[in-house]
Amino acid sequence: MASLRSSTSRILGSARPSLRFASSQVRAFASVSDLSKEASQNQSKTNLSDGAKASNTASGDKPRMKTFQIYRWNPENPTEKPRMQSYTLDLNKTGPMVLDALIRVKNELDPTLTFRRSCREGICGSCAMNINGTNTLACLCRIPAEDSHDMKIYPLPHTYVVKDLVPDLTLFYKQYKSIKPYLQRDTPSPDGKEYRQSKADRRKLDGLYECILCACCSTSCPSYWWNSEEYLGPAILLQSYRWLADSRDERHEERKQALNNEMNLYRCHTILNCTRTCPKGLNPGLAIAEIKKEMAFSA
Amino acid sequence: MASIARPVLLRQAAAVSRLSAAPAGPSVLLKNTARVAAFHATSRRNLLPPLPQKVEGSVNDPVRVPPPNPAHGSYHWTFERLVGASLVPLTLTPFAAGSLNPGMDAVLMGLIVIHSHLGFQNIIIDYLPKRRTPKSRKAAMWGLNLATALVALGLYEFETTDVGVTEAIKRIWHA
Repeated sequence: MASLRSSTSRILGSARPSLRFASSQVRAFASVSDLSKEASQNQSKTNLSDGAKASNTASGDKPRMKTFQIYRWNPENPTEKPRMQSYTLDLNKTGPMVLDALIRVKNELDPTLTFRRSCREGICGSCAMNINGTNTLACLCRIPAEDSHDMKIYPLPHTYVVKDLVPDLTLFYKQYKSIKPYLQRDTPSPDGKEYRQSKADRRKLDGLYECILCACCSTSCPSYWWNSEEYLGPAILLQSYRWLADSRDERHEERKQALNNEMNLYRCHTILNCTRTCPKGLNPGLAIAEIKKEMAFSA
Repeated sequence: MASIARPVLLRQAAAVSRLSAAPAGPSVLLKNTARVAAFHATSRRNLLPPLPQKVEGSVNDPVRVPPPNPAHGSYHWTFERLVGASLVPLTLTPFAAGSLNPGMDAVLMGLIVIHSHLGFQNIIIDYLPKRRTPKSRKAAMWGLNLATALVALGLYEFETTDVGVTEAIKRIWHA
């Protein structure tokens, strides 16, 4: 328990001249993690690095220091409890988004920090994590400059953690596969060209096809926390509705039947955490409600 | 065993007293411990800790799709909503009309029993997963059936041999 509570903010990447010789290897800072041992020594002189950094800011601006507390767990030491490690960065030298800060931490302070990222513009869905208590994409989440509180970054909640901020999404993808997320059709198109649909039919897919499957919504849903083995979760149900709403698909009934049981769909209790957390601004709650409405009187 | 018997508070207090013997100033640590101890007033116990991860089939297999079962799926959901929706006018009517006739009173009570039974069923399904706690699940379901039967019997007796629930509430309600 003590390890999850950051009692001190670590002094990292300090540029104080007296420390410079000792810290010529940046990598050495990766091992600074024994909070309990040095806690009592550093309690009285927390964040000494702030002042030290102030005199060394190249741009001459007032440094805006921000501490990031990041969940750390290493599978190579499985008996060791997960802990929070603090990193202090100068926001003047960091990009505006949390992902920029994470990349900077990994590049400059601690190369052992592990997280997924790819596109850095909210299209790939790799960098989904829990930032200050909200599931979101690190690349779309601004670092709040005004407020001086530490930022707390955890992996997606109720997932098996592979390492640090990397969750295991095997079940999520297996569930996605179970809804057959592709066009199923037997009749060829009348003119042998692509399957066309009217503008009105195409419009039904807006708000559904944009989903990037980042799993932010599913892992924010209490129902999914409790019954993730059987309940499909908001992201998969949104995709399910995306294929139910598609005018070109011909397996409408089969798709509905696949959801017509106790667990797959009806564990949704309209908690709406999904809609609230979606980093792309979609509405999985509405999609699930549409499925329920459509299925209300069908066998 | 000892760690379970001894609450966290005591353990933290013991840790603090050990540390305060050391010369290094433990005031901040003490404050932190006090804060955390106040937050966790009871000893923390792991209720249903997560099981080790188990992947059924290979990682590329889809999860199993259960056979369609409208009685527990769409029909069940529709029935639940209809019962819930019909309860609204039935509970409002006695306030508007003063009372209900015995027939409507019996219908209201019957619907309330069904409504609460379905609601409790949902709670049990959510919190006692069949895979995780099969025995508790079964016990809870049978306990619920028993409780519902008891309540139904009690209400039946009250409706048939006494004044009926809406009338009883009217007599004791002096707002």
